[in-house]
Amino acid sequence: MTPLILSFLALVLITCGSALVMLWTKHILHAALAMFMTMLGLAGLYVLAYADVMAVSHLVIYVGGVLILILFGIMLTNQKGRGGQEKNELVTEESSRAWPLFIGLLVFSGLVFILSRGNFGGIEIADPNSKLGFVGVSLLTEYALPFELVGIYLLIALIGATYIAKQHE
Amino acid sequence: MNEIPVVLFLWAGACLFATGFSMLLLKRNAIFVLMGIELMLNAANLNLIAFSRSDAANRGLLLGIFVLVVGVCEMAVALALVIQAYRQFQHIDLDRFKSRN
Repeated sequence: MTPLILSFLALVLITCGSALVMLWTKHILHAALAMFMTMLGLAGLYVLAYADVMAVSHLVIYVGGVLILILFGIMLTNQKGRGGQEKNELVTEESSRAWPLFIGLLVFSGLVFILSRGNFGGIEIADPNSKLGFVGVSLLTEYALPFELVGIYLLIALIGATYIAKQHE
Repeated sequence: MNEIPVVLFLWAGACLFATGFSMLLLKRNAIFVLMGIELMLNAANLNLIAFSRSDAANRGLLLGIFVLVVGVCEMAVALALVIQAYRQFQHIDLDRFKSRN
Protein backbone atom coordinates (compact mmCIF):
# COMPACT_ATOMS: atom_id res chain seq x y z
CA MET A 1 0.00 0.00 0.00
CA THR A 2 1.94 2.96 -1.24
CA PRO A 3 0.65 6.51 -0.64
CA LEU A 4 -0.19 6.69 -4.35
CA ILE A 5 -2.54 3.73 -4.14
CA LEU A 6 -4.06 5.02 -0.91
CA SER A 7 -4.82 8.43 -2.40
CA PHE A 8 -6.21 6.68 -5.48
CA LEU A 9 -8.55 4.63 -3.30
CA ALA A 10 -9.68 7.73 -1.39
CA LEU A 11 -10.45 9.54 -4.64
CA VAL A 12 -12.32 6.53 -6.02
CA LEU A 13 -14.31 6.43 -2.80
CA ILE A 14 -15.26 10.11 -3.22
CA THR A 15 -16.09 9.69 -6.91
CA CYS A 16 -18.07 6.48 -6.84
CA GLY A 17 -19.65 7.26 -3.45
CA SER A 18 -20.98 10.59 -4.70
CA ALA A 19 -22.16 8.93 -7.91
CA LEU A 20 -24.09 6.41 -5.83
CA VAL A 21 -25.53 9.27 -3.75
CA MET A 22 -26.69 10.83 -7.03
CA LEU A 23 -28.33 7.55 -7.89
CA TRP A 24 -29.91 7.11 -4.47
CA THR A 25 -31.26 10.55 -3.59
CA LYS A 26 -34.56 11.93 -4.79
CA HIS A 27 -33.69 15.55 -4.01
CA ILE A 28 -32.36 17.08 -7.18
CA LEU A 29 -30.31 19.74 -5.39
CA HIS A 30 -28.59 17.07 -3.32
CA ALA A 31 -27.84 15.30 -6.60
CA ALA A 32 -26.29 18.49 -7.98
CA LEU A 33 -24.07 18.75 -4.89
CA ALA A 34 -23.11 15.08 -5.23
CA MET A 35 -22.29 15.71 -8.89
CA PHE A 36 -19.92 18.46 -7.76
CA MET A 37 -18.13 15.98 -5.51
CA THR A 38 -18.03 13.42 -8.32
CA MET A 39 -16.41 15.90 -10.68
CA LEU A 40 -13.91 16.89 -7.99
CA GLY A 41 -12.95 13.25 -7.44
CA LEU A 42 -12.68 12.66 -11.18
CA ALA A 43 -10.30 15.60 -11.52
CA GLY A 44 -8.18 14.02 -8.78
CA LEU A 45 -8.19 10.72 -10.67
CA TYR A 46 -7.00 12.54 -13.78
CA VAL A 47 -4.14 14.02 -11.78
CA LEU A 48 -3.18 10.54 -10.62
CA ALA A 49 -3.24 9.40 -14.27
CA TYR A 50 -0.64 12.11 -15.03
CA ALA A 51 -3.12 14.18 -17.06
CA ASP A 52 -2.93 17.51 -15.25
CA VAL A 53 -4.24 19.52 -18.22
CA MET A 54 -7.29 17.30 -18.35
CA ALA A 55 -7.88 17.67 -14.60
CA VAL A 56 -7.82 21.46 -14.72
CA SER A 57 -9.98 21.75 -17.83
CA HIS A 58 -12.39 19.20 -16.40
CA LEU A 59 -12.75 21.21 -13.21
CA VAL A 60 -13.21 24.50 -15.08
CA ILE A 61 -15.71 23.09 -17.58
CA TYR A 62 -17.76 20.83 -15.32
CA VAL A 63 -17.81 22.70 -12.03
CA GLY A 64 -17.80 26.14 -13.60
CA GLY A 65 -19.93 25.44 -16.66
CA VAL A 66 -22.06 22.34 -16.70
CA LEU A 67 -23.00 22.37 -13.03
CA ILE A 68 -24.12 26.02 -13.26
CA LEU A 69 -26.16 25.11 -16.35
CA ILE A 70 -27.76 22.26 -14.44
CA LEU A 71 -28.56 24.53 -11.49
CA PHE A 72 -30.19 26.99 -13.90
CA GLY A 73 -32.17 24.11 -15.38
CA ILE A 74 -33.32 23.03 -11.93
CA MET A 75 -34.29 26.60 -11.07
CA LEU A 76 -36.26 27.16 -14.27
CA THR A 77 -38.10 23.85 -14.15
CA ASN A 78 -39.02 23.92 -10.49
CA GLN A 79 -42.43 22.30 -10.09
CA LYS A 80 -44.43 23.82 -7.30
CA GLY A 81 -46.77 21.90 -5.08
CA ARG A 82 -44.91 18.62 -5.23
CA GLY A 83 -43.34 16.78 -2.32
CA GLY A 84 -41.63 18.75 0.42
CA GLN A 85 -42.64 22.33 1.06
CA GLU A 86 -39.29 23.55 2.29
CA LYS A 87 -37.30 25.91 0.10
CA ASN A 88 -34.59 23.50 -1.00
CA GLU A 89 -36.64 20.34 -1.01
CA LEU A 90 -37.07 19.66 -4.70
CA VAL A 91 -38.24 16.07 -4.61
CA THR A 92 -38.49 14.26 -7.92
CA GLU A 93 -40.29 11.09 -8.88
CA GLU A 94 -38.65 7.88 -9.93
CA SER A 95 -39.61 4.47 -11.22
CA SER A 96 -39.50 1.37 -9.05
CA ARG A 97 -35.99 0.84 -7.79
CA ALA A 98 -35.46 -2.91 -8.08
CA TRP A 99 -35.04 -3.38 -11.82
CA PRO A 100 -32.76 -0.40 -12.61
CA LEU A 101 -30.47 -1.19 -9.68
CA PHE A 102 -30.36 -4.85 -10.68
CA ILE A 103 -29.52 -3.99 -14.29
CA GLY A 104 -26.87 -1.51 -13.14
CA LEU A 105 -25.32 -4.14 -10.89
CA LEU A 106 -25.37 -6.58 -13.80
CA VAL A 107 -23.61 -4.06 -16.07
CA PHE A 108 -21.02 -3.34 -13.38
CA SER A 109 -20.25 -6.97 -12.63
CA GLY A 110 -20.14 -7.79 -16.34
CA LEU A 111 -17.69 -4.97 -17.02
CA VAL A 112 -15.50 -5.92 -14.04
CA PHE A 113 -15.54 -9.56 -15.16
CA ILE A 114 -14.49 -8.65 -18.71
CA LEU A 115 -11.83 -6.19 -17.54
CA SER A 116 -10.40 -8.70 -15.05
CA ARG A 117 -9.84 -11.19 -17.86
CA GLY A 118 -7.77 -8.69 -19.84
CA ASN A 119 -4.01 -8.69 -19.66
CA PHE A 120 -2.70 -5.21 -18.84
CA GLY A 121 0.62 -6.48 -17.52
CA GLY A 122 3.30 -4.99 -19.72
CA ILE A 123 1.99 -1.44 -19.85
CA GLU A 124 4.55 1.11 -18.69
CA ILE A 125 4.09 4.76 -17.83
CA ALA A 126 5.35 6.75 -20.80
CA ASP A 127 5.91 10.19 -19.30
CA PRO A 128 5.06 11.16 -15.73
CA ASN A 129 5.76 14.88 -16.29
CA SER A 130 3.31 17.69 -16.93
CA LYS A 131 1.69 17.60 -20.35
CA LEU A 132 0.63 21.24 -20.56
CA GLY A 133 3.23 22.29 -23.12
CA PHE A 134 2.68 19.17 -25.18
CA VAL A 135 -1.08 19.66 -25.33
CA GLY A 136 -0.73 23.35 -26.17
CA VAL A 137 1.67 22.70 -29.04
CA SER A 138 -0.34 19.73 -30.35
CA LEU A 139 -3.62 21.63 -30.38
CA LEU A 140 -2.12 24.35 -32.56
CA THR A 141 -0.09 22.13 -34.90
CA GLU A 142 -1.05 18.52 -35.38
CA TYR A 143 -4.60 18.82 -34.08
CA ALA A 144 -5.34 22.32 -35.40
CA LEU A 145 -8.14 21.21 -37.71
CA PRO A 146 -10.10 19.22 -35.09
CA PHE A 147 -9.54 22.10 -32.66
CA GLU A 148 -11.10 24.61 -35.06
CA LEU A 149 -13.90 22.19 -35.92
CA VAL A 150 -14.73 21.64 -32.28
CA GLY A 151 -14.79 25.43 -31.80
CA ILE A 152 -17.30 25.80 -34.64
CA TYR A 153 -19.30 22.92 -33.19
CA LEU A 154 -19.39 24.66 -29.82
CA LEU A 155 -20.54 27.90 -31.47
CA ILE A 156 -23.30 26.09 -33.36
CA ALA A 157 -24.42 24.29 -30.21
CA LEU A 158 -24.57 27.50 -28.17
CA ILE A 159 -26.50 29.41 -30.86
CA GLY A 160 -28.82 26.43 -31.25
CA ALA A 161 -29.35 26.23 -27.49
CA THR A 162 -30.26 29.91 -27.20
CA TYR A 163 -32.61 29.57 -30.17
CA ILE A 164 -34.30 26.47 -28.76
CA ALA A 165 -34.67 27.99 -25.29
CA LYS A 166 -36.22 31.23 -26.52
CA GLN A 167 -39.91 31.85 -26.08
CA HIS A 168 -41.58 30.70 -29.31
CA GLU A 169 -45.01 32.01 -30.15
CA MET B 1 6.40 -1.23 -8.82
CA ASN B 2 4.53 1.51 -7.02
CA GLU B 3 2.41 2.73 -9.93
CA ILE B 4 -1.35 2.43 -9.95
CA PRO B 5 -2.39 -0.54 -12.14
CA VAL B 6 -4.45 0.56 -15.11
CA VAL B 7 -7.18 -1.95 -14.32
CA LEU B 8 -8.08 0.01 -11.17
CA PHE B 9 -8.91 3.01 -13.32
CA LEU B 10 -10.99 0.77 -15.55
CA TRP B 11 -12.89 -0.58 -12.54
CA ALA B 12 -13.63 2.94 -11.32
CA GLY B 13 -14.84 3.79 -14.83
CA ALA B 14 -17.05 0.69 -14.83
CA CYS B 15 -18.59 1.73 -11.50
CA LEU B 16 -19.31 5.24 -12.82
CA PHE B 17 -20.75 3.86 -16.05
CA ALA B 18 -23.04 1.41 -14.26
CA THR B 19 -24.22 4.15 -11.89
CA GLY B 20 -25.00 6.48 -14.78
CA PHE B 21 -26.82 3.71 -16.61
CA SER B 22 -28.97 2.93 -13.57
CA MET B 23 -29.77 6.63 -13.20
CA LEU B 24 -30.89 6.65 -16.82
CA LEU B 25 -33.29 3.80 -16.12
CA LEU B 26 -34.38 4.81 -12.63
CA LYS B 27 -35.12 8.52 -12.72
CA ARG B 28 -38.11 10.18 -14.32
CA ASN B 29 -36.92 13.76 -14.01
CA ALA B 30 -35.23 14.80 -17.27
CA ILE B 31 -32.43 16.69 -15.51
CA PHE B 32 -31.58 13.60 -13.45
CA VAL B 33 -31.39 11.59 -16.67
CA LEU B 34 -29.03 14.17 -18.15
CA MET B 35 -26.79 13.87 -15.09
CA GLY B 36 -26.71 10.11 -15.66
CA ILE B 37 -25.64 10.64 -19.26
CA GLU B 38 -22.86 12.95 -18.06
CA LEU B 39 -21.65 10.26 -15.65
CA MET B 40 -21.48 7.70 -18.47
CA LEU B 41 -19.58 10.14 -20.67
CA ASN B 42 -17.08 10.83 -17.91
CA ALA B 43 -16.60 7.11 -17.28
CA ALA B 44 -15.60 6.65 -20.91
CA ASN B 45 -13.31 9.66 -20.63
CA LEU B 46 -11.60 8.19 -17.57
CA ASN B 47 -10.75 5.07 -19.58
CA LEU B 48 -9.25 7.21 -22.35
CA ILE B 49 -7.09 9.09 -19.87
CA ALA B 50 -6.03 5.92 -18.08
CA PHE B 51 -4.75 4.35 -21.28
CA SER B 52 -3.23 7.61 -22.49
CA ARG B 53 -0.90 7.36 -19.47
CA SER B 54 1.18 4.74 -21.28
CA ASP B 55 1.10 6.36 -24.73
CA ALA B 56 4.04 8.56 -25.61
CA ALA B 57 1.94 10.52 -28.15
CA ASN B 58 -0.86 11.16 -25.58
CA ARG B 59 -3.62 10.56 -28.13
CA GLY B 60 -6.12 9.53 -25.47
CA LEU B 61 -5.58 12.79 -23.60
CA LEU B 62 -6.25 14.90 -26.70
CA LEU B 63 -9.32 12.86 -27.61
CA GLY B 64 -10.49 13.30 -24.02
CA ILE B 65 -10.32 17.08 -24.34
CA PHE B 66 -12.47 16.94 -27.47
CA VAL B 67 -14.92 14.59 -25.72
CA LEU B 68 -15.19 17.18 -22.93
CA VAL B 69 -16.25 19.88 -25.40
CA VAL B 70 -18.78 17.58 -27.05
CA GLY B 71 -20.22 16.79 -23.61
CA VAL B 72 -20.66 20.47 -22.85
CA CYS B 73 -22.42 21.08 -26.19
CA GLU B 74 -24.74 18.16 -25.53
CA MET B 75 -25.56 19.48 -22.07
CA ALA B 76 -26.33 23.01 -23.31
CA VAL B 77 -28.68 21.85 -26.07
CA ALA B 78 -30.32 19.22 -23.87
CA LEU B 79 -31.04 21.72 -21.09
CA ALA B 80 -32.53 24.13 -23.63
CA LEU B 81 -34.78 21.30 -24.79
CA VAL B 82 -35.74 20.51 -21.19
CA ILE B 83 -36.68 24.14 -20.56
CA GLN B 84 -38.76 24.22 -23.75
CA ALA B 85 -40.47 20.96 -22.75
CA TYR B 86 -41.26 22.49 -19.36
CA ARG B 87 -42.93 25.42 -21.11
CA GLN B 88 -45.03 23.03 -23.18
CA PHE B 89 -46.06 20.53 -20.52
CA GLN B 90 -45.50 22.34 -17.17
CA HIS B 91 -43.49 19.32 -15.96
CA ILE B 92 -40.37 17.41 -17.02
CA ASP B 93 -41.34 13.87 -16.06
CA LEU B 94 -40.25 11.71 -18.94
CA ASP B 95 -42.97 9.13 -18.29
CA ARG B 96 -45.76 11.69 -18.60
CA PHE B 97 -44.84 13.32 -21.91
CA LYS B 98 -47.64 12.87 -24.40
CA SER B 99 -48.01 14.28 -27.89
CA ARG B 100 -50.90 16.66 -28.33
CA ASN B 101 -52.90 16.10 -31.49
